[in-house]
Amino acid sequence: MKIPEAVIKIADDIRVMRIRGASRIAQAAALGLKIAAERYGGNSVDDFINYLTKVKEVLENTRPTAVSLPNALSYVMSRVFKRYNSGAKLKELIEVTIKAAEEFVRYSRTATKRIGEIGARRIRDGDIILTHCNSSAALSVIIRAFEEGKNLRVYATETRPKFQGYITAKTLYERGINVTLIPDSAVRLIMKKVDRVFVGADAVAANGAVVNKIGTSLIALAAHEARVNFFVAAETYKFSPTTVIGGLVEIEERSPLEVVSEEFLKATRNVIVRNPAFDVTPPEYIDAIITERGVIPPQAAIIILKEEYGWALKDYMLRVTSEMEEVSL
Amino acid sequence: MRPMENYSKYYKVIEDIKYGRIQSATEATLAVLRTAVRFTEEARGVSEVRNFLKHLFFKSIEARPTNALLINVIRGAILSIKEAIDLNDMKRLREVFNEYYNEIVKEIKVMNDAIAKMAINRIEDGDHVLTYSYSTIVMKALKLAKDKEKNIRVYVPESRPGLEGLNTARELERYGIPVTLFVDSATRYFMKEVNKVLIGAEAIAANGAIVSKVGTSLVALAAHEARVNVFVLAPTLKFSPETIYGELVELLEKEPESFISIEHMHKMGLKINDKFNVKVPMFDVTPPEYIDAIITERGLIAPQAVTFMLREIYGWPFQFAPLKELLGD
Repeated sequence: MKIPEAVIKIADDIRVMRIRGASRIAQAAALGLKIAAERYGGNSVDDFINYLTKVKEVLENTRPTAVSLPNALSYVMSRVFKRYNSGAKLKELIEVTIKAAEEFVRYSRTATKRIGEIGARRIRDGDIILTHCNSSAALSVIIRAFEEGKNLRVYATETRPKFQGYITAKTLYERGINVTLIPDSAVRLIMKKVDRVFVGADAVAANGAVVNKIGTSLIALAAHEARVNFFVAAETYKFSPTTVIGGLVEIEERSPLEVVSEEFLKATRNVIVRNPAFDVTPPEYIDAIITERGVIPPQAAIIILKEEYGWALKDYMLRVTSEMEEVSL
Repeated sequence: MRPMENYSKYYKVIEDIKYGRIQSATEATLAVLRTAVRFTEEARGVSEVRNFLKHLFFKSIEARPTNALLINVIRGAILSIKEAIDLNDMKRLREVFNEYYNEIVKEIKVMNDAIAKMAINRIEDGDHVLTYSYSTIVMKALKLAKDKEKNIRVYVPESRPGLEGLNTARELERYGIPVTLFVDSATRYFMKEVNKVLIGAEAIAANGAIVSKVGTSLVALAAHEARVNVFVLAPTLKFSPETIYGELVELLEKEPESFISIEHMHKMGLKINDKFNVKVPMFDVTPPEYIDAIITERGLIAPQAVTFMLREIYGWPFQFAPLKELLGD
């Protein structure tokens, strides 16, 4: 069974960043599985499972860093496999896939809203806030605080190389929130005036380190230096279960053409243009991570991981131990 | 007196500085002085020169008030031609002005050469050096290191707004030095690979703080965190004696249009008004505690020793004519 065009399109959109932001990517991936299930034309349970696994791989191999992507996919797939293993029929499996995908999207949207409610309590009337890139979770916090009647001013970094800061500025501006765009390099200069920083996350590691848009760790450092509170807004499906067993979060490096023109590249062959999309902010620069389940210190990330992915972790652990046994044999 | 429109070619230099077409502090200073000398050559009378110079000096400082070299060189120029102007002696005016110009060009070259030579004692074979923005002296030092067959790689952030980093990368490429270029936000990400930071300065204040292209303080902070040494390469002509009297170095901001195109802004549905603004600072201040040494033509000093060196140059109590007084009437 061929993978439907619509699913290929979603994968492409994620790859070229027409769909971007960890939450939006996760929702799109779940939607991809849903579409694949709806359009399945075969008639065998095993064929469906193979087909769905292939779809999952296509969606998963688009961008390596955002952990929300594999987490969203395994949210759906784990439910499908559970039923498959207990001998469910094809019709039932298709239904489960669709239901689980819809459930994930709904959950994701509620989570972002809930983060807004919780995070807004950390904002005081008159606060000056700085945000980086374009995070739906961080924006949810800022917008919620504004809707509660708090007077705010926001500094949005332009966020090179792809200027997502302009989208943030536009979103806030359209809500009537006072916003000022600044170059990324002006962060330390501006930090003196800032009361609080809110950013999103692409992945949260087991030790509480946060992987987010390149530049986040530099902002966290400048905030730490100026004793400005630094908050990360992240849904629990951005926590990375593989880091518990020592896995590293891979930092994606994108095309140099996002940074410089083709002419520049051609004219300067000895210049390597590097374009890492993310960096890692150590937990000691983070005051708290705001999740839909509540505010946690970054060092407590493991609690979220155990609660959310206990099942998966057990699985990983089993695999690791059996591999170790094999080695020792 | 000739009609004003004939002056426009002389005033072009002010625009060039104001809009960043001349980026380096040294080049800006020499361009202003060259213009002043050329005008003096072509002018008919002393009073014409006096009026023109007053305007040129005043406006060029206004265009770049942070440039201590410019201020110091203008002060020197005024002092050296003052007598000829008072005597209304056009021939003598041309002579002394030409002499002063040649002297300054030579002095800057000698100073920069001396600094570059000292700086390369601190550059070792295999070093990964990070530099920020574009600095004439740093370029000289890096080229010299290459000439001495020290294999180095230079890390260059693009340095928005202004993108001076691209010029730096292009020039280093011409010297045959390998370069790694990236967005400013990635500075902390790459700092782990770097073992030295070399930067230039616009002005150095009495407490050893450095005024430089915006983003420099962020680079220094990231270097400090990673225990990477930061060296500032600057002749003592960039020390700002005004700051001894408590004057603040004025930090220039650019027009938003220099940073983001109006069309782009409109396309995004953004318009500058009371709710949306763009802030484009050009310079920031790096505190002395993040600087390991300032390399001057008189030797390598701790930033905290700037006052000591200012005493050496200007005597104690300070004997220098504040520019405001010289330009005043």
